[in-house]
Amino acid sequence: MKKKYVLLILVLLLIPAAILAIILLKPGEKKPVTLTLWHNYGGQMKDTMDEMIEEFNGTVGAKEGVFISVTSISGSSTLHDKLTMAANGDPGAPSLPDITTAYPKTALILAEKGLLVNLEEQFSDEELAKYIPRFIEEGRLNGDDLYVFPTAKSTEVLFVNTTIFDRFAADTGVTLEDLKTFEGIMNTSKLYYEWTDKQTPDIPNDGKTFYVPDSVFNLSYIGCKQLGSEFIQNNAINFTNPDTKTVWETFMTPATQGQFAIFEGYASDLAKTGDIVCSTGSTAGVAFFPPTVTYPDNTTEDAKLTILPYPTFEGGEKIAIQRGAGMCVIKSNPEKERMAGIFLKWFTSPENNLHFVASTGYLPVTEEAFGDIMLKEMDNISDENIQNLLQVSREMQAQYDFCISPLFDGVDLLQSNYETNIKAMATDSKEQYLFLLQSETAEDALGNTLDGKYEEFMKEFE
Amino acid sequence: MEKLHKLLIHKIQKSRQVSISMRLRLFFFLLVLVFTMIAGIIVILLVTGTFSAGISASRQLLRDELTHSSKDISAQYGELSVQAIEFSKELTQKIDDNLKQQDILFSGLSDHPEKIEELVTDLFENTYYSLQKSNCSGAFFILDTTVNTSLPNSEYSKAGLYIKNMEPNIISATSPTFTILRGFSDIGRSNSIDLHTQWSMEFDVKDADYYKLPIEAYGKHKEIPISKLYYWSEPMQLPGTSEEVMVCTVPMIGPRNNVYGVCGFEISSMLFKLSHMPSNSTYSRMFCMLSPFGGNRVEINRSMFAGGYSVKEISKDNTELSVKEGKKSFITYISNNSNVYLGIQSAIQLYPGGSPFADKKWITAVLVPKEDIVDSITRLNIVLVCLLSLLITIGITISIVFSNKYLKPISKGIEIIKSENKEEAPKTNVQEIDDLINYLVLYQKELTKKVEQDKIQISMLEQFVTKTKTLTPAEHSVFNLYVKGLTAKEIADELFLSINTIKTHSKRIFAKLEIASREELLLYINMLKEIGLELK
Repeated sequence: MKKKYVLLILVLLLIPAAILAIILLKPGEKKPVTLTLWHNYGGQMKDTMDEMIEEFNGTVGAKEGVFISVTSISGSSTLHDKLTMAANGDPGAPSLPDITTAYPKTALILAEKGLLVNLEEQFSDEELAKYIPRFIEEGRLNGDDLYVFPTAKSTEVLFVNTTIFDRFAADTGVTLEDLKTFEGIMNTSKLYYEWTDKQTPDIPNDGKTFYVPDSVFNLSYIGCKQLGSEFIQNNAINFTNPDTKTVWETFMTPATQGQFAIFEGYASDLAKTGDIVCSTGSTAGVAFFPPTVTYPDNTTEDAKLTILPYPTFEGGEKIAIQRGAGMCVIKSNPEKERMAGIFLKWFTSPENNLHFVASTGYLPVTEEAFGDIMLKEMDNISDENIQNLLQVSREMQAQYDFCISPLFDGVDLLQSNYETNIKAMATDSKEQYLFLLQSETAEDALGNTLDGKYEEFMKEFE
Repeated sequence: MEKLHKLLIHKIQKSRQVSISMRLRLFFFLLVLVFTMIAGIIVILLVTGTFSAGISASRQLLRDELTHSSKDISAQYGELSVQAIEFSKELTQKIDDNLKQQDILFSGLSDHPEKIEELVTDLFENTYYSLQKSNCSGAFFILDTTVNTSLPNSEYSKAGLYIKNMEPNIISATSPTFTILRGFSDIGRSNSIDLHTQWSMEFDVKDADYYKLPIEAYGKHKEIPISKLYYWSEPMQLPGTSEEVMVCTVPMIGPRNNVYGVCGFEISSMLFKLSHMPSNSTYSRMFCMLSPFGGNRVEINRSMFAGGYSVKEISKDNTELSVKEGKKSFITYISNNSNVYLGIQSAIQLYPGGSPFADKKWITAVLVPKEDIVDSITRLNIVLVCLLSLLITIGITISIVFSNKYLKPISKGIEIIKSENKEEAPKTNVQEIDDLINYLVLYQKELTKKVEQDKIQISMLEQFVTKTKTLTPAEHSVFNLYVKGLTAKEIADELFLSINTIKTHSKRIFAKLEIASREELLLYINMLKEIGLELK
């Protein structure tokens, strides 16, 4: 009897004590965490990103007590500036988010300030093994630490507006085959300039530009690789390499003649108004190509987009760049970092990764998603352009070698100087060429315009 | 004798059933004390409002946040309204000047792309700087003209310019964050501004209230000054774009009362989100909302949200919140996927009195998921209830232990008292009980002594009685008279004998009874009377 009473008292004591202990000792267990996210998936990709974040917040997020809140959607260059400003604590800069998309060059700046989480802490070896090794490798900065997690990758391809191209081809006999090499693109650009120039016989030299590379630096970097040499040596441009001049001329000569566009923005911008026919750029740019071309009188024309593998230099190897921002997690507290890991795992799981890929033109990052799943899912993708793009990407995966952008301190500045200088020089040359054309033959005018230009260009980097 | 014994035992048992043991009595007394104290604590907690402290603190928090947000929103929208009016005046002047310069009437602009482009280019700078100096994410003007009337739906296509600031929340950015969303592509290219990814040349105003309503309002109320003609659109997506925006538009009215179009500013959902984000450490999921007043429902797609958490980014199915006014503390908002939010709201004035849009009511609200508020209050109350139940349990336990401990020496004492060897029994160490036991021991000893004495007395008396039986009848009659208390002389008189005869009898009686005197004889007699024995 007495034992019974003791037991009853013990139970009566233990129950509230246990409840108290649970409540008081684990106060933060269910407290929801908000993670801020900056990303560069704007424009048409924003809807997909919003959809995915909503899905995460409503499912896994709700279960785990984490909410992703997007606090910035910027272009990748703005994002780079914003992150750098925030990392430096510049006046007027916003505070860093918890997760951000970043290119390795941006991540390097953040990592050097000790602001990034080594993501290996959030993923087991087994989990990491599921990702395509070269994508993981690209995210390892400073030796072994994994700072940039591959979420969606891209490579460069050739986008052709075949609505315009077919019209041009019908008249001149050119084919898409001609666009397989950069030399072919140069020749076709010349023909296109002449073809368009002829359409207004009363106005001389008003031919239209045919091609633009999104990044002249990438064209030069990959061009040299294709030709079997290095564009960058000892963290500087390798001007002693004859191939460096070859790739420089590949841009400069047609740009001077008005056959390649000289443009600071993205090629898709020019494509909107039919100012170019083809361009090389990131696969992720596919969503930015407009379905129509708008002409000055506001008439529009449906634009059919054809996607071709990245062109090569004649006799060169099939090499393309591997690009695409990954996601970085900014150091905060272990709980937030763990939650960020949960989001990254969810975002890159084959199913979700493909969902993202299927509407953005990025490439999946896991072996599983890149393999059979992608093949199966490809037919279900409603966007024809993305379907084509993924087919081309798969082809390229099989036939091409990929290399990542150079990464060292100051690469950012070098890259932007190269772009700015070559475009500035091309703009001047174009003006000079047009001026000389009034008195000289095209050949002479070109020769005189470009004479000594390469040496002048080299000097700017000394 | 046995019957009597049984009756006694029965009576004792019966009395035990009716009476309460001292231990239980003490336990109940202590229990009453415990419950009185607990009740006292509960009363104190109720009086000080500890149980409802969570609710009132949360209400205060939300109220403060709402005051703050409403003020901010009101200031931002108010400022932009004023700037939009200024912007309209500037542009109208510029348009007049340009038309004069181009020597063309406004109505003659249609189908003249180059003239329209010249006009738009002329207005670019004003638009650019207005955007730069305003706390907004876009500046635009829409002209009531189009470059090509031969196109299908050209009546809805309007020329103009829309510059968007992609990073309105950064004060100083090194890279350009402006893009051209609508307008001539060359304006962007010649000013190094990219075209927005969702660029198109002209505005589609088919379902554009922000275009039609201010112009209509002007048509109906020409007497109303331009400063009262601004209109705030509901949150919406412009055709062909992905971002939700609110725009403030003001009509541009030419000198001959002809409408040139509208101009205004944009607040994107991101700018709103970042500008009015509640910063609250207690409720990390608190968010702020600006909605058109809709009685007992809020349409999520027609509202702007700010906060690290929001009802909007959680599910596509969330399209509506039904509003239930609480009696005292919070308003309850239930989303159509059954999430419940608690919050408070207040009306916000976007238009001045006399504005044709003054009937359009807006509210700002601050909301928190219900579970967050309930959790924190429940947590506090569970802690209180747990502490109280712990106190009660401890109180009961202490009462049991105390009553047991207190009664233990008493029971032990009673056991000792009941036992034979009181002297040898261990002490209880309770002074009163030990004193009682000591007293009882002494008392018992004296009692025993007395009994012993009594026993000797009785045997003497018994012998005395036996000896009386040896008396002769003559002696017996003398003895009896002695017993009655008569003296020898009185006995001689009574028996008609001489005193000497009596004396002789007396000597023999005394010898037989082994006593010395009549006084001793009387003592025996008295003693016999005392113990109830009488000589027969």
